Amino acid sequence: MIFRDFGMDTASLAGSLENKLAAIRKAGFAQVMISAADIVGHPGGAAAGARVVRASGLKVTGLEALRDFEGLSGRLHVYKVGVAKSMLEVCAALGGRVLLVEASTSTHADASEDAVARDLRKLAMLALPLGIRIAFKGVSWSRTVKDFAAAGDLVFRAACPNLGLAVDAFDVLTARTPLDDLEAIDPEQIFLVQLSDYMWHELQSAEEEVATATHFRVFPGEGAHSDDLARFVRALDDIGYCGEYSFDVYNDDYQQMPVETVVDRARLAAEWLAETVLRRALPVPNMERLRRPPHPG
Amino acid sequence: MTNAMDREAVPEPLNPLGIDGIEFIEFATSKPQALGGVLELMGFRPIARHRSREVELYRQGTMNIIVNSQPADVPRTVQPVETPVISAFALRVRDAEAAFRHALDLGAWEIPVRALAMELNIPAIHGVGESLIYFVDRYDEFSIYDVDFRAIPTVDPHPPALGAMSFFGIVQYIGADRTADWVEFYRQLFGFTPLPDAVRFGIMPKGLLLQSPCRKFYLQLIEPDDTAQFAPADEHLQRIGFGTPDVLATVAVLEQRGVEFLTSDKVRTSERGALTKARLGSVMFELVHAEPAPAAPSR
Repeated sequence: MIFRDFGMDTASLAGSLENKLAAIRKAGFAQVMISAADIVGHPGGAAAGARVVRASGLKVTGLEALRDFEGLSGRLHVYKVGVAKSMLEVCAALGGRVLLVEASTSTHADASEDAVARDLRKLAMLALPLGIRIAFKGVSWSRTVKDFAAAGDLVFRAACPNLGLAVDAFDVLTARTPLDDLEAIDPEQIFLVQLSDYMWHELQSAEEEVATATHFRVFPGEGAHSDDLARFVRALDDIGYCGEYSFDVYNDDYQQMPVETVVDRARLAAEWLAETVLRRALPVPNMERLRRPPHPG
Repeated sequence: MTNAMDREAVPEPLNPLGIDGIEFIEFATSKPQALGGVLELMGFRPIARHRSREVELYRQGTMNIIVNSQPADVPRTVQPVETPVISAFALRVRDAEAAFRHALDLGAWEIPVRALAMELNIPAIHGVGESLIYFVDRYDEFSIYDVDFRAIPTVDPHPPALGAMSFFGIVQYIGADRTADWVEFYRQLFGFTPLPDAVRFGIMPKGLLLQSPCRKFYLQLIEPDDTAQFAPADEHLQRIGFGTPDVLATVAVLEQRGVEFLTSDKVRTSERGALTKARLGSVMFELVHAEPAPAAPSR
């Protein structure tokens, strides 16, 4: 059951959607975060991609990611509402219950809290009949919503029951966000937690931070900040978070490695988190454990 | 305990759209005559047929029911099958176009207008499941039916209601832990107000009641039983409630016509209400004690 708390992200793996899902399942994961590009990029079309996901037996954590949605006006707003509706329809077709939304980094966006909250409320309303929750995430290079505390303020202001937070460990690590800030967050409002680490000890510039976030993340336990990451996960556990964890590892190297090798690293990360960090995996009868895939040959 | 005194303290709900009751409720079915038979047992009369589509209008008193068997050509709408499904309800509003724009601004999904059951420009949005919510503002001096429908000759276009029945509300089945979501949907888009748990109508003890801003009808949200919580969520409009001033007398009249009412450990007919047995696999109606609706505007 505990291992069911952790899911992989299709964006971490190279190759076809079918291969990614099969590898994730074989490694023992029960759920998967789906990157929209994997669905619409399926050779058989989006509907075929959705069927593949539904047939995989994996629970869909959610769909990612809608970006630069809020704070726009006029035609730009209408355009983004169309994009959002399309992503919500894909999410519903997958049976996904969460759409990940990253705070706008656009300089064209109105950054006023009222405008952002109004648009988030509208997005949540669009998602509501489909049974989808909006997980809103601060982005460290956003002009206004840089972290989960700022995102939490906006979610509170927008006040819609299916609007909550996504918290990304990477942002917490790079910004050195005090973990006390988590105590101000209602754990029920956290719809998704994303976990990853990175190899550098220090990020020298904003540019390096963006490049690292999008190209050089590694799985929990593999990076240079394992202790901080462990403290972060324990702090979440302490405030009562019992939702899902997803490994959002975007790494160019992993795109050049066989999926079996990458999912093996993800499995080690899940084991480290469950057994060493959270210390809650064993021994409980009938509890599912991640099983090492049988050795070839 | 919440009582009438507490409710007095609740401020008058806002009604920015000028909602004024339900204009019609629509069923979709590929067997319209079978459903028509059930509706006639309940006191409805077929009074008009659509000029170009497989759509019929039934009426009694102030209540209009539309039976739609036209195959749907819009995604996420009810495709008529044998088992009838409540596929839409229409809100009477002050200005349909303004109400529609207001809903879209807040995040409702629009329906392409030309594909709807009516020829008239009746705007609609997606509601729960595959159902639609229409906005109608022509219900006073002349009606939407005058344009789209051809009256059935020799039939009284305004048959009186059995037992002074009128629309009381609609029961909506929702997924587990979805009550807060749907309360927000109806509150934000239309100005519905959730009622305290102590306020109950009829004989069905479950669910949360939402009162329309015009205070003329209710929506009742019902989450699945504990045992059904892990079944895939099937959210839909489940049944219509009729208000009647004398439930037992109305039950007696309907029983004479051949309507059967449910009697079980949990549900039985009383002065407060009654529930009909399901017909055609899914069609049931609830009677609820309520004072008669104000007289219908002359048409």
